[in-house]
Amino acid sequence: MFRKILIANRGEIAVRILRACREMGIPSVCVFSEVDRTALHVRLADEAYLIGPAPSRESYLRIDKLIDVARRSGCDAIHPGYGFLAENPELPRVCTDAGITFIGPPPETMELMGSKTAGKQLARRADVPTVPGTDEAIENAADAQSLARTMGYPVVLKAVAGGGGKGMRVVNEDEAFASAWRDASSEALNAFGDARVFLEKYLDSPRHIEIQIFADSHGRVVSLGERECSVQRRHQKVIEEAPSTVVTPDLRRKMGEAAVRLARAGGYINAGTVEFLVDASLNFYFLEVNTRLQVEHPVTEQVTGLDLVKLQIAIAAGHRLPFAWETITPRGHAMEVRLYAEDPDNNFFPCPGKILARRIATGPGIRLDEGVYRGWVVPIEYDPLLSKLIAWGNSREETIARLRRALDEYTITGIRTNVSLFRRILAEPEFLRGEIHTRWLDELLARPRPPAIPSRPGTEAAAAIAAAYWESIQPGNPSRDGQANVGATSRWKQEGRRSQVDHQP
Amino acid sequence: MKFEVHLDSVTGRTRHVVDLEKDGASYKVSLDGQPMDADVILAAPNAVSVLMNGTAFEIHIAPSLDGTYKLQTGPHEFQADVRDPRAWRGGKQGGLEAEGRQQIVAPMPGKVIRLLVNAGDEVEAGQGLVVVEAMKMQNEIRSPKKGRVQRLQAKEGQAVNAGDVLAWVE
Repeated sequence: MFRKILIANRGEIAVRILRACREMGIPSVCVFSEVDRTALHVRLADEAYLIGPAPSRESYLRIDKLIDVARRSGCDAIHPGYGFLAENPELPRVCTDAGITFIGPPPETMELMGSKTAGKQLARRADVPTVPGTDEAIENAADAQSLARTMGYPVVLKAVAGGGGKGMRVVNEDEAFASAWRDASSEALNAFGDARVFLEKYLDSPRHIEIQIFADSHGRVVSLGERECSVQRRHQKVIEEAPSTVVTPDLRRKMGEAAVRLARAGGYINAGTVEFLVDASLNFYFLEVNTRLQVEHPVTEQVTGLDLVKLQIAIAAGHRLPFAWETITPRGHAMEVRLYAEDPDNNFFPCPGKILARRIATGPGIRLDEGVYRGWVVPIEYDPLLSKLIAWGNSREETIARLRRALDEYTITGIRTNVSLFRRILAEPEFLRGEIHTRWLDELLARPRPPAIPSRPGTEAAAAIAAAYWESIQPGNPSRDGQANVGATSRWKQEGRRSQVDHQP
Repeated sequence: MKFEVHLDSVTGRTRHVVDLEKDGASYKVSLDGQPMDADVILAAPNAVSVLMNGTAFEIHIAPSLDGTYKLQTGPHEFQADVRDPRAWRGGKQGGLEAEGRQQIVAPMPGKVIRLLVNAGDEVEAGQGLVVVEAMKMQNEIRSPKKGRVQRLQAKEGQAVNAGDVLAWVE
């Protein structure tokens, strides 16, 4: 087993990996940028080292600095988490040269499968069905546009190096092509340092269903079943669940076998996810491989009882996967919501700032994976994911009831979050019936808002009383201090407010 | 001590007068002149617990930049403007724009990465004016009305804070 593991990430996933290391008795090393000195992963760390200024290009994306920290602190393995360098083959390559184990697939496999276009070619060779489209990056906008015309709209432009919906644009008509091309390329360049994009036919109302695979270095590859991630806002997953409401044992076996075939063809090792689009007739088409741990991995953990991060570490250390896992089936139901610091009432604009207070959700069937705490200032520089709230139960109904209950318990004060979005989704009859597809949420959000949830009698009175009481206990209020020096009062109050609304550390 | 409370919510705006009178460790509460069986206490930081005839409410409170409070209880939200008749409060931002002239502000801190219009351009309602990048996402700030870009304050590459003026559309 490893002596010490470097965690090359931040936020909730750094905390998640740190916890796995601690449970395995392996010391770990965290890294942080200048704005993350007080981040939770640094507070929980055994060791932590500064790797540069806030922009990720100067810190979390600096392979040289990470390797330097790993060497100096005596780490013999690096876990990349997701995002940042997780799918950059340069990191495992440099790791190999430095004699450090990369916890993930080998660089050649990453190149072959991680690139959306090469992955598609591989899928064809492995007899896995694919969506019609180009297999390679397209050089210029004019060629791409004439191809789009031939293929017929709608089409989708995707970043070759992409993921997470960044550098991705759906084009419904010829007139919109040029601007979509420009946006996709520039966003791809910004997010991944690679402006190349390719083109695919856009399927009508498909579901997004993905298979979690695991492969050891002794030739065994298993499927741990599916996750359905059809609830997406502008191609970003917002709710994930397992099992899918439409996947039968037979379809699960077929998709699992296809994913395993693909993994074998690519020489895959460690955890990976094979994403498929599934149409109304339950035909599935290969979409892409994510050569890393997924944000939504807890959903699979809850229905399989496995700890995927510990498993990743064990496999990277050369351990074997047990035989029995080749026939693993999900038990019960699990669902995850991604709570973001963004305002659903204002076009989902990011809302970083200071977390003044927090009441967390706990109790039966609830898990909270997060990297936040009371008093922390959510920085503007990174992805605004705050928490992953995961519920599980015996049935989908019980799981949804638990998730609703937990969303009522969980409050974050001081910054806006997208919690109201989940309240709305979890009350939608279509969602409850499992009638969802990848455009379902965008369509829902385009519809008029449902009437406000009726409040209990007395809510408004209680709010008025609470507001008055709050005012009365503010520093400097005469009713609290028994003095009426109004000039001083006002300044105290302003200062009190200023310190509570201050958005920068 | 009397407080005038204006509450804004999705169902509209209401005004209440709350009288809080210290009674030992707790308060005697009356609402709009009616004595209430209400127990009010600070239960946790920024969390006020109110028990009204035994019905329990927990109200989470955060101050806003404009001096009002944001209240949240379960799925319900209110904006509260509390006026304490005995205290002098100056500098309150009334902040209404001149008729027809719209101020375009940054909705969050970030960086201006692209200007989509020039000063003097005619724009349609909903047309993109400026692209602001925050947390790796590019967000187009759109014109709220049809009109002319009177002034363009934003510069490419400029860091902006929430509330900073980017442009005026007349």
